[in-house]
Order: sequence, then C-alpha cells, then structure tokens
Amino acid sequence: MATTTATESIPSWRYTWGVRWRLWRQNSLEFWRELRKHPVSVAGGVVVLLYVLAAIFAEQITWHSPELGNLRNRLMPPAFMAGGSWEFPLGTDAQGRDIYTRIVFGARISLLVGVLSVGVSMVVGVALGALAGYRRGRIDSLISRFADLLLAFPFLIFAIGMMAFLGPGFVNLILALTFKGWVEFFRLARGDMIAEGTREYVEAARITGQKDWQIVVSEMLPNILPTIFVLTTLRIGFMIVTEASLSFLGLGIQPPTPAWGSMVADGRNHLLNAWWVSTMPGVAIVALVLAINLFGEGLRDVLDPRLKIE
Amino acid sequence: MRLVKILERLLAAIPIMIGVAVIVFLFMRLTPGDPVDIMMGQGGMVTAGEIERLRSEFNLDKPLHEQLALFLFGLLRGDMGNSFTKQRPVAQLIAERLPATIELALGAMLFGLLVAFPIGIISAVRQNSLTDRLSMAGAFLGISMPPFWLGILLILIFSVHLKWLPVQGRIGADVHLTTVTGFYVLDSILTGNREALISSLRHLVLPSVTLGAAVAAIVARVLRSSMLECLRSDYVKLARAKGAGEFSAVAKHALRNALIPTVTVVGLQVGVLLGGNMIVEAVFGWPGLGRLVVDAIFARDFPLVQGAVMVYAFTFVAANLIVDVLYTYLNPKIEM
Amino acid sequence: MRTIKHLSIPLLLLVSWLLSACAAPIAEAPVGEAAPTVKTLVVGLAEAPLTLDPADHRNRTTETVIRNMFDGLVTRDTRNGVHLELAESAELLDPVTWEFKLRRGVKFHDGSEMTADDVVFTFNRIIQENMIEYPEPHTSPRKGLIAPLQEVEKVDDYTVRLHLSAPWPPAMQLFVHQQVVPQAYLEAVGTKGFVEQPIGAGPFKFVSGQLDDQIVMERFDDYWGGAPTLPPVGPACVDRAIFRVIPEASTRVAALLAGEVHIIQAVPPELVGALMQSPDVVVKTAPGTRPKWVELNVNQPPFDNKLVRQALNHLVDKDLIIEAIYEGRAVPLPGVLSPFNDFADPSLSPYPYDIDRGLALLAEAGITDANGDGKLDWEGTTWSFVIDTIEEHRQLGEAVVSQLQQAGVDANLRLWEYSVVRPMLLAGERTAYLGDWGDSAFDPVGHMEAKWHGIVEGSPYGRGNFSGYNNPRVNELIVAGETETNVDKRREIYNEAQAILYEEAPAIFLILPEEVEASRANVTNWEPASDSRINLHDVCLE
Repeated sequence: MATTTATESIPSWRYTWGVRWRLWRQNSLEFWRELRKHPVSVAGGVVVLLYVLAAIFAEQITWHSPELGNLRNRLMPPAFMAGGSWEFPLGTDAQGRDIYTRIVFGARISLLVGVLSVGVSMVVGVALGALAGYRRGRIDSLISRFADLLLAFPFLIFAIGMMAFLGPGFVNLILALTFKGWVEFFRLARGDMIAEGTREYVEAARITGQKDWQIVVSEMLPNILPTIFVLTTLRIGFMIVTEASLSFLGLGIQPPTPAWGSMVADGRNHLLNAWWVSTMPGVAIVALVLAINLFGEGLRDVLDPRLKIE
Repeated sequence: MRLVKILERLLAAIPIMIGVAVIVFLFMRLTPGDPVDIMMGQGGMVTAGEIERLRSEFNLDKPLHEQLALFLFGLLRGDMGNSFTKQRPVAQLIAERLPATIELALGAMLFGLLVAFPIGIISAVRQNSLTDRLSMAGAFLGISMPPFWLGILLILIFSVHLKWLPVQGRIGADVHLTTVTGFYVLDSILTGNREALISSLRHLVLPSVTLGAAVAAIVARVLRSSMLECLRSDYVKLARAKGAGEFSAVAKHALRNALIPTVTVVGLQVGVLLGGNMIVEAVFGWPGLGRLVVDAIFARDFPLVQGAVMVYAFTFVAANLIVDVLYTYLNPKIEM
Repeated sequence: MRTIKHLSIPLLLLVSWLLSACAAPIAEAPVGEAAPTVKTLVVGLAEAPLTLDPADHRNRTTETVIRNMFDGLVTRDTRNGVHLELAESAELLDPVTWEFKLRRGVKFHDGSEMTADDVVFTFNRIIQENMIEYPEPHTSPRKGLIAPLQEVEKVDDYTVRLHLSAPWPPAMQLFVHQQVVPQAYLEAVGTKGFVEQPIGAGPFKFVSGQLDDQIVMERFDDYWGGAPTLPPVGPACVDRAIFRVIPEASTRVAALLAGEVHIIQAVPPELVGALMQSPDVVVKTAPGTRPKWVELNVNQPPFDNKLVRQALNHLVDKDLIIEAIYEGRAVPLPGVLSPFNDFADPSLSPYPYDIDRGLALLAEAGITDANGDGKLDWEGTTWSFVIDTIEEHRQLGEAVVSQLQQAGVDANLRLWEYSVVRPMLLAGERTAYLGDWGDSAFDPVGHMEAKWHGIVEGSPYGRGNFSGYNNPRVNELIVAGETETNVDKRREIYNEAQAILYEEAPAIFLILPEEVEASRANVTNWEPASDSRINLHDVCLE
C-alpha cells in the first residue's frame, strides 16, 4: 500500500475531463428541459440574443451614420407618426441623427459596458474569493478587509469620483465600474468556497494528493459557478443602468459615440415636444435589462437545487 | 456574550473608517482640478496674490502628509473642517441635509416593501403561474429603468398632465412649517400642522416611488426565492401534513423563515438607499446629502466630500452591524 | 413564534404610521382656506446660492438672491445701463477719485438708517485683508472684482469718496455688484449671525430658509423706493418672494408648467419649444453675456497659419446652428466682442458660411483631400484634431464637429471637466477648445484682458487665454484701453484691436446665446436681465 505513489491513484486529466464532459452534456440536456418550464425566462434569453445579434451586425441592418447628423433633419418624428418617414424609423434626435441607427450601434456600447465591467469584476472577484475562501488565514482577512473598505463607499459616489479622477471615456467607464464591482463577486465566491471547503469531496481530493489549485479549479469552482452566473446576469443589468445614471451627471461616454444612457439623458429635455428622442433608447434599456433579469431569474430557479419543484 | 461580539464588531469598524478617510483624502487630492481655480469663476480679475491667499486659507499650501494629519486629527475631535465653496462647517452642512436624505430613504423603503411583499409572497405561492411571471416582470421594471428617466416621466405624467402630485421640493413653497428635527413629516406631526403634513407627504410620493422601485425589485426577488425554499422544507410539509391550512402554512411557517434573508437584504438596501439617491435628489430638487456631495465633487470641495463620504461609510457600517445583530435575534442558531 | 413577536412591533409601527399618514387628509377639513390672500411669488433657481453675505462669494446666482434684500450705491437695468440706487449722485472728481452723495432716510430692515459709515464699512470689508471672521478669518473673494479700489473715505455722514490706484473706466459697472451692509448690526451679531439672519436696505427682508432648498423673503414696507430712474418706485408689489432651488432643467420647466413656480431661470434652448405651446406660460429673453467660440491653439501647426483659422470660421454654419439648436435665440458673433457691447465695432460682421471659400483657404495653406477619401489631408496624412469642451456646450460642440466633418475636416469632440482641462489649455497643450467667457459688466476690459492678451504669469492678463494668442500690438491696445477715460479714444483703441483679432481669427467665432427665462402668464412687470439678475421689486402677480 505504502508503495503506491500518489500519481498512480489520480485519474488522468484526460479521463476526468472526459467524465466531466459527459456529465455536462447530460446536465445541459436536463437544464434545457427545466428551462423550458420557464417560458418568460426563455423569452428573456431570446431578447438578449436578438440584442447581441443586432450589436454584431449593426452595420448591416442600419443605413445612416450613428455619429454624424444633419441639423436640417432634426427632431423628425418616428415613421408611425404624422410627419415621420421610414427613412428614420424611430425618428431623429436634436442633431438630426437617426435614432434607430444610434440604438443599434448603442447596443454595442451598452452590451460591452455591461459584459466587460461585469466580466472583469467576476474574474477578479471570483479569483480573489476562491483564494481567500480556500486559504483563509491572513490572506483572507487582508482581502476581506479591503473589500469591506470598498464596500463602505456608496457605489455611485465611488463611480462619480473615479470618473472625475479618470475623465470621461469608454475604458475609464469600465475601470470605474469594475473597481468596486468585483467586491460583490468576491463576497459570494468566498462564502461559497468556505461552505464547499467543508464537504467530503474536497477532503477526498486532498487525500488523493491533488494540488491546491487543481482542487480549486477543477473540483470546487464548477460547484459554485451556478450562483456566480446568476449574480452575473443581475450585475450586467445594473451596470447598464448605472452607465445611464453617470451620463445623466455628464460623466458618461464621450460624444458622439452612441450610448443609450447618454441618449436618454440628452433627450430628456425634449420629452415635452419630441418624446421619442429619450423614450426610444429608454425602452431599449428597459427591454434589455428586463430580459437579462428575467433570464437570470429563470436560471436561478433551474440551477439552484433548493428551489426545484418536486 | 452577544454584547462582547457587538463590541468586537464595533472595534473592527475603526480601521475601516480610517481606511475610508485616507482613501477619500488621497483620491480627492490626486483628482485633477484645483478648488481655488473653480471658485474664482470667470468674471472680474483674479490676482496671483489672491490665489496664494486662498490656498493658504484652505491649507492647500501645506505638504500632503500634513494636510492628511490635520484632517484625521480633526475627525478625532469630531471636526470635519469648513467647506471651501460654502464657507461653513461641513458638519453643519451635512446635518442640515441628512434629515431630507433619511426621510426620502424611509419613504423609498416603505414603498419598496409595500410592493415587494405581496409580489414576493404571491409569486412564491403560485410559482411558475402566469401571476408569478407577470408580477416578477413588473417588479423587475424597477431595476430596469434609469432612475432619472423614471423620475422625469413620473413628473410629466402625475404632476404636469394629471396634476395629482407636486413636481419638486420637500414641501409646498407657501406652506409654513416650524422645523424641529428636520424631518418634515415628523415635524408636521409634532407641531400638529396638518397642512404641512399633507404637503410634505404629497411631495414625498414621487421621489419615494422612483427611488424605491429598485428596492421593490430586489426585495421581491429575495423574498420569493427564500419563500420557495421554505415552502419545500420539511417543517412546512410537516405542518401541511398535520392538517394546517395552506394560509397558515404560508403565513406562519414559510414567511417567518423567509424573513431572515429578507431582513439582510433590506438592511443592506438602507445603505444603498442613503448613498444612491443623488440622481433622484437632483431630479426632484430634493435638498439632500446626495446632491450636496455630487456638487462638492465637481467643485473639488475637499472637506465637504471627505465629510460626506465619512457619513456614508459610517451609515453603511452601522447598517451592516444592525443587520447582523437582528439576524442573531431572528435566528438564534446563528452566531455573530 | 419568537421571530414573529420580534418583528411584529416594528411592522405594527410601520403600518400605523402609514395608516395615520394616509388618514390625515380624509379626517381633516380642507386646507389653505383660512389664510388671507397673500401674494406669494416663487422663483425657480438653477443652482443654490452659496451664502447670503454680499461680500463672501463670487457667484451670479448668489448675487441674484442677495440683490433682492440688499441695495448698492448703483444698480443696473435689464440691459447695461447703470442707475443711481443708494447714491443720490456720483461724480468723478479726478480720474482716480469717485465721490458719492448718499440718499437720506434710507432704512435697513432693522429700522436703522444707512449712513456713510455703512458704505465705508461695506467696502473695507471687501478690500481689506481678513475682514470676514467666519468660519475662519479670510478676505472677501470679491476683492479682485474692484481691485483698483485702494481706499474708502468718509467725508461726512452722507458723502463718501472712493480712491482708485489708476483711472478705471468700467468702475461704475463693477460697483453695481457690491451691496451695502449695516455696520452696527453686522458688528453686533458677527458674520455667523449675519449669514443666518441677513439685513440689508433692499425691497425684501429675509424671513427664513435653507440655501440649498428655499429662501423666503417678505416685503419690506419701509423700503425707500428704489432707483427713481427705474420706475415703479415704492415698496415691492408682492407680499412674499420665495427662491426655490431646482437644479434639473426639465424639472424646473415642469414646475413652471404645473404652476408651482412663477418665474424660472436658465431655460435650456431645447425646452423653449415645449414652453411656447402652453398658454399659461410666457418665454422672455435678454441679450446674453456669454459668447461662445472655439479657441484655436495658434502655436500649433497648422493652426499657426491664420488662413487655416479663417477657413474654419467659414466652414461653420452659425445661422443653421442658431435656428436648430437655439430655436433662434442667439446671435452670431461678429468677432471677439458681443454685438451688444458698447464698444463692439459695428462695421464687423460675422464670417459668412462659405464652404468653397473655406476649402480654398485651406488649400492655400496646403490642406487638401490629396488621396480622395473625402477627408482633408495635411502633410501626407489625414488632418484630424480634437476640439475639447465641457458638458455644458456638448450640443453645440456636436453640431460644430458634425458641420466640420461634412466639409471634410476630421474634427472630433472630447468632453472634460473644466477644472481639469483649464490648466492644460493655459499651458498650450491642447489644440482647440469650445467654451464661453461670461462677463456681465458689459465692458470690453473683462474679455479683452482675459482672453486675447498674451499670458502674463501671476497677473489677470491672459488668465483665460486658451489660444496662446500673443500679439504685441493687441496687448498694447488692451492695456491702453483699460485706463483710457475718453470714450472716443477708447472706442478707437478697441476698434483697432477688434479689427486685428477679426483678421487673425485666433478662434472660430460662434454665437452669443440669449438668456432665456420664463414665467407664468399672470406675472406682470417682469423682464429678464442680461446679468441674470431677477429683480422682484417691480414684479406683480395678477
């Protein structure tokens, strides 16, 4: 017995991942069956997909410049209103730009803002959370203290301060949103890791001599991913709305880049005489964020075993 | 035992507060933009001497570490310095504004809970029904709309077109109210001023709805999922098996236990509400802390920003602590 | 059970609070009937005043509020005419001495009479060091506004002399901005007490208020009447005047439409259309005092070539911008000075919109579309540059950039915070800046020395010079104009300077927007003023 080396008793990577893949395929089939019970969530998912497609094929489905307008075409009403034309399906803004075109191109910006800021937050937060939750001890308390510190700043104030510090712009916006955004993921990941750490399979993996990073990456992370994923969907919606709030304060994305937040903010003074300027991008935001949230809620119902219907 | 734990937590909050103070201090100094420059505006003449003088008045001519020390020692004495732009003590400015902000936060919380509880409970009881889907979708609207847009739309609909509710401010311009605490609703009751009570409540409605919409969504979501969890749990099944009515099973057992995670979220939302309302305050002309601090950031009014952020951080840490304490009362199994 | 018990108390309180709150309106009789018909006028301000101490700020809105409670030696009408207010006469004894005879029988709100002592105290409080003791001793930020004033002398109880360091033609325009405070009261209560309960000699007295929320004033029945040259004379018309702070423009407009306020300031041009549709509302304008231009860095090639700068002036269609973005409420700039300035040269007219001429000038400077991609090229590559601006001018900036782009110029907009970009502009690190420069004194001095004089470190000269323009002849003329007291000679000086600047075009001269304000239709006798003052003394409610 004693002569058996650790390496012999560990199944090869190839084998483990093979099993994993079969399990995953089986699970995902079940996942889709479950998800079908949530038609509203599926609809949400479809809407999100449509937005993504629109963002990717923006050039192909629009016929105006998103940035340059002609003042002579300003504030034209949408096609379905008197005086509107299909040339500008959703009307034009104060600069004479086509609102439809700007919304489609704006989907790129808004989705990127949401996905990038949350993506970076998630990677940083989960990595640090896994480290802290698995290792505990001094490193845990160090990161946790720093997280508590950041958490004590109100999010919007922090973002405003960061934007003042960095200046307006796309990359700066992502940075400002990420700098505090990772804390949520950190807390969730850390808590889950601590909980997972007490379970038998981790102990089993340790006994078989797996390295720490292998245990964390291949054994524990897959188990906490579902909850992380749900949080991700929620945060993406939050970030898109936050971008709009920052635009309202004049700290959004540089003009003339079409971003929904600044389109809504710009158009608010026209609500009384040209309601479409602000309302159209507003509806675009609401539809996307609502769709993301509904999708996320469905995921949660499906992924969280405690909520399953028997 | 519990008291010792609370004290421990209080002590742990001290380094956090110091950290917040240092971060906000450095952050403001490193942000480009000169407060003196902004103050002098464009008109008239500004001499170099004048700028020098203002700099030394604001202690901006001292080395950074000295300024930091002045700020930290001031905090120890409870002195947050004087605002650059308003030439008044920061503590006084914040104290004037805080009641407005808290009043709005309470109004928003009340609205949020009033909407969230029915939606959360019904959605959970009728999981996956059309009612569940629609009411949750409705609740999610609250976190899907940029608050400034929602606020302006509400004003245009309910104030300008329907004329049901006032547009802005905390109380009617010609309504007289003797302020006692700074909370207008409370002051109206204390001084028995019916007109002021009605006016301040009417002014509170739209901002509370705008700010509370997000709370409603978040709380409804948590309440629903924790109710679901509880409804599937053994003791509710047991209660049902014992012949308890469906209402009693839901109300007595599931809801009670579902309240535990809900309280946590509600507590955290208090911090969010207090710190996240600058948009709503700006839209509704609500003279609260949020607007003050945003203006201060743009004016690089260092002492005012520092003071306000300290107050926010304190509120947040306190709200967290209270939630933790409440938690142990709600669920005696959990230790702090 | 334990849980329920603990929760029930706060919940019960919550519900009872809610019920009582909701029940109140039903249980009680209709409100607001008992009060007698008090005429209350409410004004919506765009920003909060900073203080109620006339000597301790440097902010237009603050002065707007203060001047309804305080009077000065002189005042200004809604344009740029200066009128005697607390002074009965003003005389320039010699080029550096002004003598003011004060009106007798003018009362402060506490009933005490205004005398020369109060005037001397008022000015000393501004020009002497560390005269304001609260919250910590500091010097009035208004000192720089009347920098040439050296000494204030009391001749007798009703005569004061103001001694200047040098001849100062715009003196009267700047005395308008200083209001007289009561010495005895202020010394008795200190600055802290004074700020909490200010007392002046103006048409309204302070009742209550928080600066960031609202300031309530009441008519001062013993008011001396106001400038006789600006009728009506006598106590104010309305009983109460309230200034309410409503920073968000669309909310301000909504409040006016809903009838919550009677007058609003700073109506953004895009909201004018909506206001005009309502029969209950009147929109009025006054000539503005904040010209807007794109300053071009004259030390940075190719902007060091005046042909390029002139060309850009031809490529912007100012009239279309005025019509589309400003709803017609602006005028094109004929050079560096506002056309409403007394010293504006009437022979200059705005650069005409002429793409061909502009492109020809650029070609002459070596900028053409060499590779035929529709964008102009310079020295072998696409000629592209950034125009910096701040959020406030964004709409205008987007329109300008869009027009330049249509002409083939690859100009792009970049937004900054003013406080961040300003040092970079002064250091000559940026290429172009779209901005404005406010000067309500209506005298060329303010604009000329700040914007078009070469930068002289540590002096007011060129402190707003973002183009780096530095022409010895223009500098000379600007300095000469500052102290020249002969109006005709002064006009000659400024005409020459304007002609040079027009020709050299250190900026794209854009537009001068009007100050747009609006009121309810039942507000009478109200006119917006160019310096954004809202003089409620004359205003009535029907």
